[in-house]
Amino acid sequence: MKVLIAAFLFTAGNALAGTVGQPAPDFTLNDVGGKPVKLSDYRGSYVVLEWVNPECPYVEKHYGSANMQGLQKEYTAQKVVWLTINSTREGHYEYYPPQKMAVWMKQVGGTPSATLLDPTGTVGRAYQARTTPHMYIVDPKGVLVYAGGIDDKRSTSKEDVKTAKNYVRAALSEALAGKPISAASTASYGCSIKY
Amino acid sequence: MTRHDPSILRGFGLAAALLALAAPGIPATAAPVRTEQAEAELLAERAAPEAGKPFTVALRLQAAKGWHTYWRNPGDSGQPTSIQWQLPAGYHAGPIQWPVPEKLPIGPLANYGYEGEVLLLTDIALPPEAKTPARIAAHAKWLVCNPERCIPQEADLVLDPGAPLRAQQIAYAREALPESAGAGWGLKASGATGGVALEVVPPADLRAMTLHFFPYEEGKVQHAARQPLERRDAGMRLFIPVAAQAVGAFDRVHGLLVADGVRGFEIDVPVKGAVTASPVVGSARPLGLVAALALAFAGGLILNLMPCVLPVLSIKVLGFARRRDAHAMRLHGLLYGAGVLASFLALAGLLIALKAAGAAVGWGFQLQSPVFVALLAMLFLALALNLSGAFEFRSLVPARLANAGASHPHADAFLTGILAVVVASPCTVPFMGAALGYALTESALVALAVFAALGLGMAVPYVLLAFEPRWLRRLPKPGPWMVSLKRWLALPLYATVVWLAWVLSIQVGLAGTQPAQDGWQPYSQARVAELVAQGKPVFVDFTAAWCVTCQVNKQLVLARPDTEHAFAERGVALLRADWTRQDPEITRALAALGRNGVPVYVLYRPGREPRLLPEILTREAVQSALADLST
Repeated sequence: MKVLIAAFLFTAGNALAGTVGQPAPDFTLNDVGGKPVKLSDYRGSYVVLEWVNPECPYVEKHYGSANMQGLQKEYTAQKVVWLTINSTREGHYEYYPPQKMAVWMKQVGGTPSATLLDPTGTVGRAYQARTTPHMYIVDPKGVLVYAGGIDDKRSTSKEDVKTAKNYVRAALSEALAGKPISAASTASYGCSIKY
Repeated sequence: MTRHDPSILRGFGLAAALLALAAPGIPATAAPVRTEQAEAELLAERAAPEAGKPFTVALRLQAAKGWHTYWRNPGDSGQPTSIQWQLPAGYHAGPIQWPVPEKLPIGPLANYGYEGEVLLLTDIALPPEAKTPARIAAHAKWLVCNPERCIPQEADLVLDPGAPLRAQQIAYAREALPESAGAGWGLKASGATGGVALEVVPPADLRAMTLHFFPYEEGKVQHAARQPLERRDAGMRLFIPVAAQAVGAFDRVHGLLVADGVRGFEIDVPVKGAVTASPVVGSARPLGLVAALALAFAGGLILNLMPCVLPVLSIKVLGFARRRDAHAMRLHGLLYGAGVLASFLALAGLLIALKAAGAAVGWGFQLQSPVFVALLAMLFLALALNLSGAFEFRSLVPARLANAGASHPHADAFLTGILAVVVASPCTVPFMGAALGYALTESALVALAVFAALGLGMAVPYVLLAFEPRWLRRLPKPGPWMVSLKRWLALPLYATVVWLAWVLSIQVGLAGTQPAQDGWQPYSQARVAELVAQGKPVFVDFTAAWCVTCQVNKQLVLARPDTEHAFAERGVALLRADWTRQDPEITRALAALGRNGVPVYVLYRPGREPRLLPEILTREAVQSALADLST
């Protein structure tokens, strides 16, 4: 009987935690408009995952300096899919309901491909996302090719954006040029995600 | 100030107030700078420089209750305190001398820092001719956090020449600084699966009860993970789990080894051998669509042999031999096939629609409804009683099939197909959970195709026999043997009724939950996170009363004394996620694992990725997963 059962229980994808070089965990999350967005629907494109929390001073640094919006605009213009994810748990006072999140994104002039809500933290945990911001890049085959920080200047000062080495830009430039990513894993900094 | 004032929540209100102090033209303050979360000031050890003695200045940071500031490596988030000295020419400030930090858990994450008061000492080198006190000022920046929020703050501070000296306080802080682990320490580090094993032989006079390693660099160790300590004859062995998203190679154990939470020893030990990632077994690569369809088709064929389906269908097939009109037979077969196919597609469509509407459902949702289970149990009881000859019910479909004079033969055939799928559901759900669950995590089109292949597989034998009834001629002529066959075929149906009644009793709460097994706790995601944060491995059994595979695995593997013993020996926490009834939290947890049905077995390992075990669980698979834990 066991053999018989075994024949039919063909197995599914791995539950690999977000590890560079491994398939990126697939997920479906609702965007701020309630529309489900599935990572694997974007096979064939590079996908950037950006963890966000509008209440976090480090996020404010990168939106207040227009750094993040600039990256979103620059790379979505090059057919890169940009998914901004808020994993703050529902019930935490920094939680933004979909409507509020949509308004915030509009106000700051962000243009990600989608703004997604992960109030249970399932997707955040699957990627072992720790901070806001925390950045990931998934390649067209669905493999995680970058995990880490936005840049190398750990601070809340907007001035530092100008002089920092932007890891995400560096990684995307290399990837889009067909080169291997030289810094595929970096230290991320920011507020802890409010799981 | 309320927590809900958004400008304050972001911390900018406060930062702005402090920045005003730091703005040019406004003199820096010698008095402590106070915010609601922290207090900062500079303290001196002595009034004037003394030859041969360090001139030490302390930045005293006092975090309010529940708040903390950060160590040089802040851990998973946060920011180390920084000091920019403003000194007269010829003066040079050394680096911050960091006291021993604490590990501060923040949900599933951890920070390294200081609760309450901390004195950050800096030695200032003076020119030899310096005799009189000069103006010593600093621009300090710190991040102050509680588990819920963080506020960046900064202030310009100046050492007040008139303030009382804090020689004793500073001397005490210096005394408590980490020392260098020099001679007298035996230290060896080697790469292992998922981390680094540090062999420690402390000096004879140090009797440490606990040890914890705090790395200077980020991205090396899993900050939140427990570091298991084993006592050896000649010392101790500390296992340091590597970060899931490691930055660079973990080739040096460089940082503080903290004994009993208070005494810090600076170490820098090269790691021999590489840290290897642990393989994830039991889950092959996702199947291609063709292979998935082929397997679903074969699965459909086998469904005909399942104990819930075989008795019902075989009685009907036996009736074929008696029929003469070949054309009507073929039409009957095709309509039956259409009924089967339509039912499977309707089922798939319903499930896809529910999921699209945002309902947290998975494969098996039918059997999560007590009403459906109750109706199914009654249907099986009726079928079983019919087969045993307790009564004849001419109006119900199986009996009707043999009745050539039925008034609506076409509807009859189609309904038979639907009935076959309904009676098959207790078998399709439990035996094909993982397969169909997988299909449902793919696109809607793939899911429909897989369900259609399953339906085709199930319909094919019946349709073929309807087209070629002569294949049945080898059977003995209808006679009394058929009556006894019917009686025997009723037995599996009775068994199904008993089983469904048991499932129902659990669903409606008569039996509470599934029979409790010693040592198993109910599942919740929070509980898993909590245990893993404590450094405990956690095994989760995603199961349901209606899942036959789950019950078989439980009896043959999980409930075996040797398995239970192996779990206990490794200190594995056992959690059972019971999906007998609807449970959105469990559905989401399954989705996070790439599944949409039970059984699923997962071993969560602190500092490493969770490991999936095969759905057809074996004792060897469990033992090998557990053996892998201790390396």
